[in-house]
Amino acid sequence: MAGYAFISPFIIGFLCFTVIPMGASLFLSFTSYDLFTPPKWVGFDNYKAMLTDDEKYWGSLKVTFYYVLAGVPLRLAFALFIAVILNRAEKGVGIYRTLFYLPSIIGGSVAVAIMWRNVFGNDGVINGLLFFLGFDKKIFWYQDPTSALWTLILLSVWQFGSSMLIFLAGLKNIPPMYQEAASVDGANRFQRFFLITLPLLSPIIFFNLVMQTISAFMTFTPAYIISKGEGGPLDGTLLYSLYLFQRAFNFFQMGYASAMAWVMLILIGLVTFILFKTSSLWVHYESKEG
Amino acid sequence: MLMRRFVFVSLCILLTLGLFGCSSNTEEAAGADGKKKVTLRVAWWGGQPRHDYTSKIIELYEKEHPHVKIEAEFANWDDYWKKLAPMSAAGQLPDVIQMDMAYLSQYGKKGQLEDLTPYVKDGTINTESIDEKTIKGGKIGDQLYGFPLGVNVLSVITNDDLLKEAGVEIDDGSWTWTDFENLALEVEEKTGQYGSNGMHPPDVFFPYYLRTKGERFYKEDGTGLAYSDDKLFVDYFKRQVKLVDEKASPTPDESAQVKGMEDDFIVKGRTAATWNYSNQFAAFAQLTDAPLSLKLPPEQAKEKALFLRPSMLFSIPKSSEQKKEAAAFIDFFINNEKANALIKGERGVPVSSKIAATVKSQLSEEEKKIFEYVERATEYAGEAEPPEPIGSAEVIKLLKDTSDQILFKKITPEEGAAKFRKEADAILKRNQQ
Amino acid sequence: MEPVKDISGRAAPAPLPAGNRKKRAGQLVFHITTAGLAIILLYPVIWLIASSFKESASIFATSHSLIPDPLILSNYTEGWKGIAGQPFITFIKNSLIIVGLSTAGAVLSSAFIAYGFARIPFKGKAFWFSCMMVTMMLPHEVLMIPQYIIFAKLDWLNSFKPIVVPQFFGHAFFIFLMIQFIRTIPVELDEAAKIDGCSRLGIFFRIILPLIAPALATSAIFSFYWKWEELINPLLYLNKPELYPVSLALKLFLDTETASNWGAMFAMSVVSLVPVILVFFVFQKSIVQGISMSGLK
Repeated sequence: MAGYAFISPFIIGFLCFTVIPMGASLFLSFTSYDLFTPPKWVGFDNYKAMLTDDEKYWGSLKVTFYYVLAGVPLRLAFALFIAVILNRAEKGVGIYRTLFYLPSIIGGSVAVAIMWRNVFGNDGVINGLLFFLGFDKKIFWYQDPTSALWTLILLSVWQFGSSMLIFLAGLKNIPPMYQEAASVDGANRFQRFFLITLPLLSPIIFFNLVMQTISAFMTFTPAYIISKGEGGPLDGTLLYSLYLFQRAFNFFQMGYASAMAWVMLILIGLVTFILFKTSSLWVHYESKEG
Repeated sequence: MLMRRFVFVSLCILLTLGLFGCSSNTEEAAGADGKKKVTLRVAWWGGQPRHDYTSKIIELYEKEHPHVKIEAEFANWDDYWKKLAPMSAAGQLPDVIQMDMAYLSQYGKKGQLEDLTPYVKDGTINTESIDEKTIKGGKIGDQLYGFPLGVNVLSVITNDDLLKEAGVEIDDGSWTWTDFENLALEVEEKTGQYGSNGMHPPDVFFPYYLRTKGERFYKEDGTGLAYSDDKLFVDYFKRQVKLVDEKASPTPDESAQVKGMEDDFIVKGRTAATWNYSNQFAAFAQLTDAPLSLKLPPEQAKEKALFLRPSMLFSIPKSSEQKKEAAAFIDFFINNEKANALIKGERGVPVSSKIAATVKSQLSEEEKKIFEYVERATEYAGEAEPPEPIGSAEVIKLLKDTSDQILFKKITPEEGAAKFRKEADAILKRNQQ
Repeated sequence: MEPVKDISGRAAPAPLPAGNRKKRAGQLVFHITTAGLAIILLYPVIWLIASSFKESASIFATSHSLIPDPLILSNYTEGWKGIAGQPFITFIKNSLIIVGLSTAGAVLSSAFIAYGFARIPFKGKAFWFSCMMVTMMLPHEVLMIPQYIIFAKLDWLNSFKPIVVPQFFGHAFFIFLMIQFIRTIPVELDEAAKIDGCSRLGIFFRIILPLIAPALATSAIFSFYWKWEELINPLLYLNKPELYPVSLALKLFLDTETASNWGAMFAMSVVSLVPVILVFFVFQKSIVQGISMSGLK
């Protein structure tokens, strides 16, 4: 059928480049594999050990959930805020958009890590700013696991550019006539925002929410480069993917790492499913999806 | 309609088969010197200076051996090991791989590396001026899995200005751990700077401490920890905690914030003594104007706690198809004078005493100090540590985590000692199967 | 079409009939707050640029001051010379090839595939759609080794192929995005074209593709920037330094055991930002304006 003709590139690629490695990784999760000698079958041992005998595993899960729950809403809220501000035809707004997008372009390079550690250093700019705003105590960001995790969360919020872009597009899409009608009816700025803009924007918010949540669960590079692969201090920045990586490449336990990956896959699938199911409560579609 | 789907699926299968069928063929023409043409892949880790001069050495080799073409593959430390693992899994390792003691067991014992003994025996790798003890560093049992390129020794590097300011002197032939502790406290009191850099990483210096007390860290057969008295652990870490509390040593997060050598405490004049391997002296000396010198660590004499450690090695994978040529390259690297004039001991003090002597005369004052220090240490050196057992990576991480927890005051040294022992033994036992 | 009315509902003034002065005051407030915010947010980037003009050894010692003293250009000239005989322009060239091919492949194939999902009913569509969504949820570290072995068997190692070729088979994020876009195009247009004798393929090329141009542009920007930055695949599949893209090459300047060449690395990081910024700046207006026309519902 014609449908298959069109999606055939996806199917081919999926089969060749994804399914086979996926199947292999599922198989590996039931083995002990050190990359050098052939995998040894161990059944559910990896999964058992992970869930019952591994402090760090639960630690990394906790850290990751904290990261997602704190980071994603913050990031989306910030992106929305900026998108709203930049949603106008002022001269030079294009430049502002580029400037605000800049942090996310710098991405996960080593330069970012150096820079970020510097900014949050004990004598860094952030502490200087806090001092300027009246706080009299220096925060030793990297001495405490939670505050170290916050530097990661703030890094992700700082790189809100892509979400902002999509919000901008969504905002442009709202027909001005709704806003006009409302203001004729006497609605003020805030009412207009919360009663008109937000609901009409909700499909976009949903899209961003799902995408950002999935990618937040899989965050690796910032944690890796900022903690120099250690996940410190005291495993405060040991995100799930980082721990997975350590198990796979530092400890040569590919089987265990594969098991971790599959658990994460199931977890993300569950969360996404829940997001989709609860979306009907708050997401408002103008027209039936067709 | 079903037809079309069928066609696509079969096309897909054909395509994949076709791709599998394709393979490149290696040409085998004779080289300029009549020998069969050979391509060697040589891989190493390092920084920019190392990449630059090693490429020059490769050019030199190609000129002298026209039938050999060398493909260089290099990256920094982190990336290097990330690349090597998949290559190994796929049987695609380069012909000459730079190897580190931390990974030698993993790659060697799991059958990835070739035993180099035959190449030493038949003279491909000339070991005339190389000490047996040094070569042994690359051995696991009887198998020579890697040939050492250079030698390092543990050292205490001191900022002599700060020492003078604090009014302390070190007699490094005879000083004790207590002397070291007092020195650190003195320095803090008199100058406000740290007396010690905190002895990072713990997996290097705690075993050294054990050696000074006549104990070892790992059991010979790698089935567990060797030292049985946890008091040793407690004493070592109690001392670290005390120094941190008295501000004579930095806190763990301060140490973690050091971004590189130019940010290091010794370079910024913030510590009087730093614990490092001897080869790092060169970089430190280059980055600061303060006078630095290398001192033997405390209490090394009685139990011959010091040892010569291969700084790095060259190994040949079992999967290589030109092992003899690879071995010839290794020999060139170690024994050729022109090559070593470019290396200048950057990979450690050369293992060949003849080369070491030649190179020494070409060095700067600071670089010479390293050579002299290693020579001096050689006289005191005892048996080298055997290569680390499988599972050591986990044990190292465990020790570091435990050390952090102790220094962050989450657990006491006593609790740390018990916890470490229990978990380390479990790890090592698990990896025996 | 210019949105005359401001529909943001927040920081902007409503255009009052008597308010020319108020409007200008509002504009001033806008510029000051936005510019101020931008500067705060961009401080780390400014620091990066400033550091690239400082001497390597003093970058961290003087990290408080944004003013390089002395201001040197040698980081740029040195960095440009490259590493171990490879001039930096080689790395940029490699990046451009990889990113260009990948982006073209990803965007076109994703559009093709999205059309199939969005417009054509067929059995098993829901199944394949879920498969596609799942590919976005897979942690990459674990697919890495099996994928590497597959590529090794295909003899594609040490070439751009493992990095570029899979892009021609669609990328879930773009596919999903474009599906949403295509859904907003009234089916009547398709029907009209079919009546006129257009085949499915024809509809795709002549109707759908032009109408989702903004989605194509958005995908292109994302693909460009993701691929430009990508480290892990080039690391695994490229052994010869002459094939390295910029992202990988920058790491060669750093080393834990010797003095890293921070200055050159920062300088070249700044240089490597330029193409990405340009691409974004050029495309951003048309995207936002254009996306709004067809709408993302």
